[in-house]
Amino acid sequence: MTDIDDDLRDVLRNRPDNTGAGEVPGFDDVWARAESTVAQRRLRTRAVGGIAAAAALVAIVFVSQLRPTEQEWQFVDPDEFASSTSWVAPSDILLPKHQFDIYGEIPVLIESTERDGGTLL
Amino acid sequence: MRDSDVLDNNPHVSRSALEAMHGQVFGWALSRCDFQQAVAEDLVQQAYVELLAGKARFDGKSSLKTFVFAVVQNLSRNRYRRIAIRLRLLEKAGTESGPDVTQAVEPGENENLWKAVQRLPARQRDIIELVFCRDMTIEEASTVMGVTTGTGRVHYDRAKKALRGRLEND
Repeated sequence: MTDIDDDLRDVLRNRPDNTGAGEVPGFDDVWARAESTVAQRRLRTRAVGGIAAAAALVAIVFVSQLRPTEQEWQFVDPDEFASSTSWVAPSDILLPKHQFDIYGEIPVLIESTERDGGTLL
Repeated sequence: MRDSDVLDNNPHVSRSALEAMHGQVFGWALSRCDFQQAVAEDLVQQAYVELLAGKARFDGKSSLKTFVFAVVQNLSRNRYRRIAIRLRLLEKAGTESGPDVTQAVEPGENENLWKAVQRLPARQRDIIELVFCRDMTIEEASTVMGVTTGTGRVHYDRAKKALRGRLEND
C-alpha cells in the first residue's frame, strides 16, 4: 500500500456527501416500500392476466358460434347395404354439391357429315 | 441466516444480510446519482424490488455485496439511459432544459486529491470508489462494473497513475 492509497481511502470515506449515519434512510422503511411495490405489481399482473383470460374465453365462445355446425357422419351398415336393392346416400354430406341436369347441361356434340379424305370432320 | 429471513424468489439472499449492508449500498447508490438523496433512496428501493421479485437472482457466484452493488449499478445505468432519451426528445421538441445536477460538496482537507478523483473518467472514478471507499477487491469491483478483471485492473492502474500525476503537478 502506498501513501496515495491511504489518502484516497481517507478522502473517499470522509467526504461530507458520503453517507453519514443520519442520512441513510431506515432499512425497514425502504424494505416495506419495496415489498409494497412487489405486492402491487403482482396484483396488477394478476388483474391483467385475468382480464386477458376472460377476453380470450369470450373470443373463443364468439368464434365458435360463428362457425357453421358440422353435420354428423353416418356410416353405411354393410349388412343392410348388401340386403337392400335400393340405396340412398346416408347423409347429404356424401352427395356431390353440384347436381347437374344431364339433359340441360351436357354440351351438344358437334356433328358433321362432311368428309375430308375419308375422315369425318 | 434464518430460514424466515430468506427471500421467496431468491433463496440465497436473506433480509438480514441486506440490512447489514444497507448503509454501504445506499452510499454506492448516492455516488451513482450525483449524491441526490431521494434518487439514491429510489435506486436502493428498486434494487430491493428486483431482489424480492426474483428478477435479479443471486446464485452465489460472487459475494452478495458485489451482486447487490451490480444491481444498483445496472439500475442507475438504466435511469441515465431514460434521462438521456428524455433529453434527446426535449431537444427535438425545441425545449431548453438541462439535467438537474446537484454539485457534490467538497471536503476541506485533501481538496486537491478529491478534485483529482472527480476529474477522472467515469470508469476510473468508479473503480477507485469501489476499492477505496467500499472495500472491494479489484475483481469484485470489476464484477460490479460489468467488466473483466483485466479491464478493471487497467482502469485501476490508469486512475492511480493519473491521480499521482495530477497531485505532482498541483
